[in-house]
Parts: sequence; structure tokens; C-alpha cells
Amino acid sequence: MATKRTMTLNLTDAEMQVLEELSRKKDLTKTAILRQALRLYQLLDVRMERGEKMYLEDESKGEKSEVMVL
Amino acid sequence: MSNDSIVQIIRRSDGSFVDANLVRGVKPQDLLIVEREWIADRTDILHELLDKGVARENWPQSLHWNWQRKAPELTLLAACGLGVVCERQWQGVMMTKSAPYVARLGADRGQPLIYIDYIETAPRNWPIPEIGCKGVFRGIGSLLFWEAVRQSREEGFHGRIGLHALPQAEVFYQQACQMTPLGHDAAKQNLLYFELSRQQAERLFQARGEQ
Repeated sequence: MATKRTMTLNLTDAEMQVLEELSRKKDLTKTAILRQALRLYQLLDVRMERGEKMYLEDESKGEKSEVMVL
Repeated sequence: MSNDSIVQIIRRSDGSFVDANLVRGVKPQDLLIVEREWIADRTDILHELLDKGVARENWPQSLHWNWQRKAPELTLLAACGLGVVCERQWQGVMMTKSAPYVARLGADRGQPLIYIDYIETAPRNWPIPEIGCKGVFRGIGSLLFWEAVRQSREEGFHGRIGLHALPQAEVFYQQACQMTPLGHDAAKQNLLYFELSRQQAERLFQARGEQ
């Protein structure tokens, strides 16, 4: 495993609640959830910079919407 | 190279164990070397297959792969490269992804897993009876697969693994790796998709005495 560094993260109660819920739901530590989020964010950013688009689709309603990432 | 550890692979000619380096931090530049090392063997094999008139369906199905083209993917946080070096040559490499893949199987559905995007042993290690190739080393694919299971556990994914298998490798994943086939995937060249569940991984860890 790569060398790791520690940082302090300030979250609101709501943000911490979501982190804890995801941690429980995905059976991952909070650190692992944030690491996954960062990996996904980078992946999406790289692909969107290439000009690719990301969509969310609800097949039952026949709806498709483009996702924008900041 | 960094993060190396010593592992053993098997020389096909006499069944002897040979020390090799397992490289856990394969870099994009390493994949350029892999391709430079392997391209000549790929070309020689193709030449022999054509010369001997071997039917296309019997050609090694990763014959056209090019690791140089895959190298930029290793710059992503979600990607990880592992490889085996022996006798100063790359004997096998694997690229795994820790995002955005999730399990489809039973109780693990929706949980994160390590997805094996590419795994290949060096062309010099392929046994191809049709052209008289016996291959130099074996045991590399199993070794790399097991490292992916370990990576999954280190990431907190409990050993869960997913992959799409080339048809020639389906038996290996189902029998040697004890993965579950979950059907052909139209979104991935209709390849058969396999998963190793948390429960299956736990059984493998127990069988290997790694709990």
C-alpha cells in the first residue's frame, strides 16, 4: 500500500450523518468511503474533460437526465 | 520498482519453483516496458499461427492486447497495477479498478468490489500446442488473481472480485478461482461476467490459512 498522510476534515452534522449512513450501508470505514468518493470524482472528471457525458436513466419512466459535475 | 515481495512461480519444463518479484505498484512507464518486451513474442506467435494455418478460434484471445495503450489508465486513483518479474522479464501483469464497480451477486449486491480490468501472462508463457509452444512459466495468473483478492480485503471490500472473462479463461475462473458466472454481458463484448463473493473469498482465505 502507498504511504498515507493524515488530514483533519471539518464536516457539518448533516454531512457526517450521510458519511456514517454510507459507511454502514456499504460496510466500509468512513475513510474508505471518502477514498472511494475521491476515486469516483477523479474518474468522472477525467472522462468529462475528454468530452464524455454522464447520464442517469430511469427505465421505468423512460427518463434520462445528464449529470453535471463541478 | 517499489513495494516488491518475493513469490514463486513454476518452470513448466521441470516443475521447479522459481523466485520472482511481485510488483504491487506498477507504473504507467512499466507498462511501456511490458509492451516492448512482449510485442516481439506476440508477433512471432502470430507468424507461427498463420504459417501453420491454425484456425482463428484457436488463437490466444489476448493476442491483440497492447499494454502501452492501457498505461494512461494507471494515472487514475481507482486503478492499480500489479506484475510479476522473473529472470529480469515481466512474466505477467494485471490492472485492477477499485471504482466505480459494485457487486451484482446475492447478499453482496451493491457493495464495492475490486474489478480485474485486465490480466495477462507474458506470451512466452502461453502453451499453444498447435504451434509447439510449451510456455516457460506457469502459476502467474493464479498468483495475480490471489493478489486482487488480497487487495479487495485491504480496501475493506472483503475479498469481493468481479471480472469479464475471455472465453478461453472461463474454466479457469470458474474452477480454479471458484468464481460464480453471472451471465454474458452485452455491454462488454458479450463476455461472461464472474464474481467472487465475500463468502467465497472467506472460504479461499480459510483454505490458504489467511484469516
